[in-house]
Amino acid sequence: MQAILAAEHVTKIYAVHAKETTAVRDVSLDIREGEFVCLLGTSGCGKSTMLNLFAGFTQPTNGRVLLRGQPITKIEPRCGMVFQSYALFPWKTVRQNVEFGPKMKGLPAARQRELADRYIAMVKLSGFENHYPAELSGGMQQRVTLARSLAADPEVLLMDEPFAALDAMTRQVMQEELLAIQEASGKTVVFITHNIDEAILLSHRIVVMAANPGRVTAVIENPLDRPRDLAAQATPAYASLKSRIWDLVVGDVRGAIAGRAGRA
Amino acid sequence: MNAVRAMTRSVAIPLFALGRSGGWSTRGSILMLNVLGVAGFLLLWQVATAGGFLSPLFLPSPGQVLSEAAQVAATGELWRSIVDSSRRVFFGFALAALFAVPLGVLMGLWAPARALVGPFVSLLRPLPSITWIPLTMLWLGIGEAQKIAIVFMGTWVYILVYTVESTKRVDPLLIKAARNLGASDLSVMREVILPGALPGILAGLKVSLAISWSCVLSAEMVAAQSGLGALIWNAKDWSNLALVLVGMVCISLTVLVADLAAGVIERLLQPWERHRHV
Repeated sequence: MQAILAAEHVTKIYAVHAKETTAVRDVSLDIREGEFVCLLGTSGCGKSTMLNLFAGFTQPTNGRVLLRGQPITKIEPRCGMVFQSYALFPWKTVRQNVEFGPKMKGLPAARQRELADRYIAMVKLSGFENHYPAELSGGMQQRVTLARSLAADPEVLLMDEPFAALDAMTRQVMQEELLAIQEASGKTVVFITHNIDEAILLSHRIVVMAANPGRVTAVIENPLDRPRDLAAQATPAYASLKSRIWDLVVGDVRGAIAGRAGRA
Repeated sequence: MNAVRAMTRSVAIPLFALGRSGGWSTRGSILMLNVLGVAGFLLLWQVATAGGFLSPLFLPSPGQVLSEAAQVAATGELWRSIVDSSRRVFFGFALAALFAVPLGVLMGLWAPARALVGPFVSLLRPLPSITWIPLTMLWLGIGEAQKIAIVFMGTWVYILVYTVESTKRVDPLLIKAARNLGASDLSVMREVILPGALPGILAGLKVSLAISWSCVLSAEMVAAQSGLGALIWNAKDWSNLALVLVGMVCISLTVLVADLAAGVIERLLQPWERHRHV
């Protein structure tokens, strides 16, 4: 089967103040349709760079990024980004934010409203349609962002540590809701995290990345049954998967800490 | 420029007095101190003038000012002056806004436009509007057009600078998000850049509105048959200090009312800011 989203030998070099930094080097990756893939790694491993490349916010220095075999050369609405910092339009109500994608597609007003109602209900925000983002908590704003992306109906959902800013309990609820939404919609999701538990709970596959330069060190199939809930964390399969991933990342994490200490 | 600064300050103080900045005290006691201060000042003024400590030629008493006000209000002269000045401010300010807001958005979005107009902004900004009086009188005479031109010249640069800055400061992440959701250039403009820049543009308009009053008054003092500026200037020539003070108080009150109205419009245009006002 052809991958819906692919990176072919992608290298991305940023030049900041005449100093070149290799964000990712020679990354190749295939993402299958309907799959939930987590990009897991410590800071500086290039996972956000990969997401920005998939969204078309930036272009690779070398190699290609493909959506259904076609190179991504500009901002790609078919790859919908769920931003970590929400990026909601403060002057639009919850409903107007969620209607934005359908409106940009030129759908009739009644259809926009119908889609907004459906996705607002899906993220359990019915009753808050006429609130402005500033009137909502962080967890609620994150759900609006998710609903806004879903309503735009992209082929791939790109999620950049969407739950990192939430408190631990809210995050758990959001993870289970996201899992249910993904099961129901069958959307392809690329999800960035530095949280091993989150990656195991959500993913079909986990792409482990390392820093300096950013690269893929392992791709792990997640054998746990779906649908999953927190009870899965008590199983031996979960424990062995987690320790396997930890062994892969621990060197990189220690290296990053030592590197920071060395610089300080 | 001092006149300009004094004008904006006269607008800022009553807002402060309305109890926005609390903390040390309740709204009620702030209001009480406001009233106490003003009443005390009036009393002092009355004692100083009626008690013979100050000559009425130097400063008329509050009572004289009040009866003068009643007189010019009764003849209709006061209202005509307020309406004439307000009309000049309205047209000059509206023209300046219609010219400067679109130009400012263009300059905020497009660096070449910024580079092209930038030098004119730098040169015109330090010029007080009264320096335009000789030229505008030569070109336009001393009629309405000249007063409107003075208001225009005194405000458009400020509106422009505010508009350029607030357009440039629209969060690029929101523009990225809109494009990611499928927005075209035109949609990004209408749905993100304009509403994103609106708070800054409105703030600039509010400041410029206060400035436009100082422009029209100075223009009216130099050459005009009507308006609050002419009222004050003529009263000075007749040594009618009470009328001068009536004019000054009226200017304060009119600018205050205009500023409150601008504040109401500002809130109506930005319902998403409502949580900050409750």
